Amino acid sequence: MKISELAEIGFTCLQNTFEDAELTGGYTSDLLSDVMANLKEGQVLITLQAHKNTIAVASLSGAAAVVFCHGRAAADDVLEAAKAEGIAVFSTPDDQFEATVKVAHALA
Amino acid sequence: MSPRTIVATAKKKGLDCIALADHGCVENLPAFHDACKEVGLPCLYGLEATSTEEVHTLCLFDQLESALEFGRTIYDSIIDIPNDPDRFGDQPIVTVDNDITGFAEKLLFAATDISFFDLVPMALEAGALCIPSHIDRDYSGAIAHIGFLPDLPYDAVEVIAKKPPRGVDKWPVVHFSDAHHPSHIGRRFTEIETDAFTVSALREAFIRLL
Repeated sequence: MKISELAEIGFTCLQNTFEDAELTGGYTSDLLSDVMANLKEGQVLITLQAHKNTIAVASLSGAAAVVFCHGRAAADDVLEAAKAEGIAVFSTPDDQFEATVKVAHALA
Repeated sequence: MSPRTIVATAKKKGLDCIALADHGCVENLPAFHDACKEVGLPCLYGLEATSTEEVHTLCLFDQLESALEFGRTIYDSIIDIPNDPDRFGDQPIVTVDNDITGFAEKLLFAATDISFFDLVPMALEAGALCIPSHIDRDYSGAIAHIGFLPDLPYDAVEVIAKKPPRGVDKWPVVHFSDAHHPSHIGRRFTEIETDAFTVSALREAFIRLL
């Protein structure tokens, strides 16, 4: 599954400056320390944490994309940081469970 | 934010007492102390500690030495992830003249291995004013990350909005700037009546806010 295909499962792309690589998997967490410790290179991060540190942590961990759940709005500085890092950002009204299930199905 | 810039800005804004509370690091407190003393501005020494749940909590002391001792324990408890200055910015340690003497090595906004439920009594026992930060923010606050404000003996709760969230009536509500940039200094503040800016006097002054 390519990063851009996250749009095909209903997620809205908020930041589309990225290299459209294959997703290696996904990681769902709202604790950034946990993301730093456990997210693996090339995964999509599914989270509620729609702020700038999330992008920095995603970048540090090698996340390919970030999905903000529950329709959380991403501020301009968040999207700018993601653009600078080349990390795709998506938004969904789904909660983390629903978003994770959709991604898991799409990856299967 | 150099120590003298912080102090000069605070003076200009008319603040009577300020606190330095870096994330997870107390090594800039000596320079802050010197800058405050130069102009006779009352100050508190502290840090914003991050619990395992990633809840930010202000721990504020009136004695520099106590703050250094407690704060270094907190720093040692931060998970061992080195800072990446390109992504997260530098974490300089400076003198009062703003000369850089070193850099904090660990990523300072990362969590400690101390639960919020242990952190609060730890801070109080060490002699700090313990105040959960921005409890009404949708990230890094107690309500956002724990789901509710646990019933613990905080000295006050820090709120961003003018109106506090529901269910916090038993604690004094305070507003602080949470300044991460000089332009933020004084953007929020708390008016209290006190004859001293010590932990004990402030604790009593906060209670009078109830």
